[in-house]
Amino acid sequence: MRKISNTIFRILLLILTGVTFAALTFVIIFIVKEAIPTFEEVSLGDFLFGREWLPLDVGTGHMSFGIFNFIMATLYVSFLAMIISLVIGLGASLYLSCVASSKVRGLMYPFIDLLAGIPSVVYGFIGLTVLVKFFIRAGVHTGSCVLASAILLAVMLLPYLISACSETLLKNKEKYLKAGTSLGVDQWYTVSSVVLPASWKSILTIIVLAIGRAMGETMAVMMVIGNANLFPTLLGKSESIAALIALEMGTAVNGSTHFHALYAAGLVLIVLLFIINIGINLIRDKLIK
Amino acid sequence: MRIKGALIRIWAYAGIITVSAAIVFLFVFVFIKGASTISWDFLSQSPSGAVLGEEGGILPAITGSLAFTLTAVVIGAIPAIATALYLVFYCKSSKSEQVIHLVIQCIAGIPSIVLGLFSYSLFVRDLNFGRCILSSGIALGVMILPFIEVRAEKTFREMNMTMIQSAYALGCTKSHTILTVVLPACRGELFSGIILGGCYAMGATAPMIFTGAVAYAANPTSIMKPAMALPLHLYLLVAQGTTSLDMAYGTAFVMMAVILISNALVTIYARRRQRAWNQQ
Repeated sequence: MRKISNTIFRILLLILTGVTFAALTFVIIFIVKEAIPTFEEVSLGDFLFGREWLPLDVGTGHMSFGIFNFIMATLYVSFLAMIISLVIGLGASLYLSCVASSKVRGLMYPFIDLLAGIPSVVYGFIGLTVLVKFFIRAGVHTGSCVLASAILLAVMLLPYLISACSETLLKNKEKYLKAGTSLGVDQWYTVSSVVLPASWKSILTIIVLAIGRAMGETMAVMMVIGNANLFPTLLGKSESIAALIALEMGTAVNGSTHFHALYAAGLVLIVLLFIINIGINLIRDKLIK
Repeated sequence: MRIKGALIRIWAYAGIITVSAAIVFLFVFVFIKGASTISWDFLSQSPSGAVLGEEGGILPAITGSLAFTLTAVVIGAIPAIATALYLVFYCKSSKSEQVIHLVIQCIAGIPSIVLGLFSYSLFVRDLNFGRCILSSGIALGVMILPFIEVRAEKTFREMNMTMIQSAYALGCTKSHTILTVVLPACRGELFSGIILGGCYAMGATAPMIFTGAVAYAANPTSIMKPAMALPLHLYLLVAQGTTSLDMAYGTAFVMMAVILISNALVTIYARRRQRAWNQQ
């Protein structure tokens, strides 16, 4: 009896795992399959490097699917957000790992984690009512701009960056700080010249993961970036790939090239993430000795 | 040498002050702006007005969000925990473990809007479900599955091995050990993973925007019907412009309060469990 229930439980788990695995693989294959028909109409080069996005035939007989501006906007916003977030987040991680007592740390971690829980629409909403208004006052035309969405994204990335960075820094501090202190070296000098350099490698991995999050973020970016098919500039409007999909998904006709092109844009987003991921892993060892 | 150290020190303090200020600002801003809108009527009535949502309340959005979140948690959490259990306690081939991890990482990397697009064309279009809670729930469930799986797996791997070994030594079968020792011991961590995953699903707009959430619906009665959702409601109120801004602050207030309360519960629970462990 015991043996039978044991076997049943095992089989149940195996089935559930199998179903999960199959379903998740299916999602990936489905996306690829829906994206492929795009390239019967548009060549890959035109799709990636074209700057014209005219998905509907408005009587001129001319349609065009080029997502170069969207790709650049996605990259621009994500990297800018990453830099802002890193400047603030790494500082905060230094505080948490090298200054704060474990009691303070225990209080600060859940406090900072609150940021991760805030829905992205709420971020977008506050971005519209605070950041965009600020930019209008500062003289930017409509207030919606790449910089505004990058600032917003930077705040959204902070919790992931801080929790991962401070964990790495803490590990390295415990490893090196005692040796430094017993040699009579100032604590902050040890931190700046030993602990921080020793952590760069892990920090780079954390950065890649955070960029992935930034590139996929939809609502907050969409609400403050202005949504215009333009090449991104710091204070100009633009449109990210995720925003493109969200804005046009509802109006694209089923089975049309437009619809497949949105899938292809989504696929480009996933592939970009992969390339950045693999690329950084390859050059990481050369970048940091 | 002194200067370098001092600069790093200034950086550390500036960083933590900026972060804390940002968090306090976000919550205080929404709570102050939204407080005047919150009333029993706001929480218990349906939206109304010439421009929808301008007057009335947000009750169907609250119940709708609950329905979306529950569906997502059921769809996401059960396979996530089962997979974690399998990987930690049963899987012996490191190769299949790697493949499963790879797929889970891939899914975690898919932007939520692409999951929405997937669910839209497969369930809403091809399988003819139409826009409904189930279509969105599946997209949201797939979205939170990696989140819960990673946490659950970490919890299982960090479990006190002697407890499991003693159970085996007493002649318990694996399934009996898992059901009576492992799962109860990890209950708190699993619940907090599920609650935080649920918050994540509740706040996500992108996967449900064309798959099941609509501008107006009654309280949800079946998972095959569309429903309102708090984040989409907020988005639409903002998109309508200035007349519904107060209502938007009120809606944001409700969501922020839910986040604050569930995070506080999870933290307090974890703290208490930790203390109990230390006393043992």
